[in-house]
Amino acid sequence: MRARASLTVERDPDGRSSVRELRSQSPLALVPRRGTAAGRDPAVTVHLVGSASTPLAGDDVELDVRVGPGADLVLTGVAAAVALPGTDRPSRLTVRVDVGEGASLQYLPEPTVITARADHRTLLSATMGPGARLRCRDVLVAGRSGERAGRYAGTTRVCDGSRVLLVQTQELGDAVLQGSPAHLAGRRVLGTEFLVWDADPQVASAGDWWSLTPLAHRGSLATAVGPDAVSTRRDLDAALLAHPGWAAHAVGG
Amino acid sequence: MPGLASLVLADSRFPGGGHVHSGGLEEAVARGLVTGLDDLGPFLRGRLRTAGLIAASFAAAAAVLAPTRPGPTPATREPQRAPDARSDSGLPPDRWAELDGELDARTPSPAQRDASRAQGRGTLRAVRAAWPSPVLDALVAVHPRPHHPLLAGAVIGLAGDGPAEAARCIGYLAVSGPASAAVRLLGLDPFAVNATLVRLGDDLDDVVATAERAAHGPVADLPAPSAPVLDLMAQTHARQHGEHVRLFVS
Repeated sequence: MRARASLTVERDPDGRSSVRELRSQSPLALVPRRGTAAGRDPAVTVHLVGSASTPLAGDDVELDVRVGPGADLVLTGVAAAVALPGTDRPSRLTVRVDVGEGASLQYLPEPTVITARADHRTLLSATMGPGARLRCRDVLVAGRSGERAGRYAGTTRVCDGSRVLLVQTQELGDAVLQGSPAHLAGRRVLGTEFLVWDADPQVASAGDWWSLTPLAHRGSLATAVGPDAVSTRRDLDAALLAHPGWAAHAVGG
Repeated sequence: MPGLASLVLADSRFPGGGHVHSGGLEEAVARGLVTGLDDLGPFLRGRLRTAGLIAASFAAAAAVLAPTRPGPTPATREPQRAPDARSDSGLPPDRWAELDGELDARTPSPAQRDASRAQGRGTLRAVRAAWPSPVLDALVAVHPRPHHPLLAGAVIGLAGDGPAEAARCIGYLAVSGPASAAVRLLGLDPFAVNATLVRLGDDLDDVVATAERAAHGPVADLPAPSAPVLDLMAQTHARQHGEHVRLFVS
């Protein structure tokens, strides 16, 4: 299936953020959170819902997200994405985000499971305006329990104005690479979280299987490698606590 | 056939200070992830196909950029000393800044950025004496401690070798240093370690082919494969190196 989805969030004169444009197509649905809790939150929360079994080989999904100046958006997944085999073509997911001046976006999809014989490619391309804040979490699971991973290559590229902050391609599905002590050391789950959120840490922090490192120009990257998605997410959370800008935000609400 | 520049730069006797780096192997040994020859091969192969591919690609791109001149196509690649390096060399300094920034963006670990720049700085003194060129000045103008792959690639390009030679030299260095460190850290048989290194020949050929292809395209599209555990270990190693006795800087 080929699908194009887009989402625009802007800041209203009263300081609250609201959805201005929302278009989605099967197999990807965008569902704004409603209810009283949503009414109290000045940020907008939109759920990403895979409305069919996705991503399936041959699927080509593009999502454009624009967060206008001063607006705040939380874009979350509701269930793990399971990359499944189908035709002989790879499945593709392209997400382009544009975070305006003083705006914020938290892009928090659920883990992606790369099942055997899947062939999944992703691209996340983000551009940030002055003073913008961005948090992107990515958790990849190399196959279901006891299963070898299919093929996966996902590239993240984040730019701040004309300056590039992070370019990174994650690759799964190559047993030699995954087994290498330089790559996943035989572990099954890889989590990364990119953060540009106020103050970056002055120095890197590291636990046994996670690290939080300040990037060369601006922003930080948390990395965790674990045996399962739960412990890997826990390690990412530990890494985020070492981030002064994020920790202040998390405590202050 | 590789020319003199890539042979000199890949020689362990080259006075560039590369011998103080283990490329993450010391930390992998400290964690028990590499205990002998059986793990060394996979460690080196993983390193070559990730950090090695990035370094080789940027070296190849630097080798393509270094000999560029304004006007006619560079028929001769002899570095020419110009009275005013900046204007007459015709070098687009923004291209070097672009390469430097894109390589920084592919190196999320500060310990690894520092190791790359420390080796670049060490190499700079030696290559400036051997291959003086305004191209090197342009590279240093971007950052006083140029990334090692950019500097080495620029020198190889200036000396008349192409991107493939630059990629082969830097790809090889990405594993030869850790291999030699393995002999010292684990007391392994040097002949067996050397044989392990040589068995990476096909992987190195793949890296060279990918790097050379990418070197002629846009800088933004240069490969960026991550090495998650290598990144984690680089930070732990830097901390341990500061607090305890370690043999290698990285």
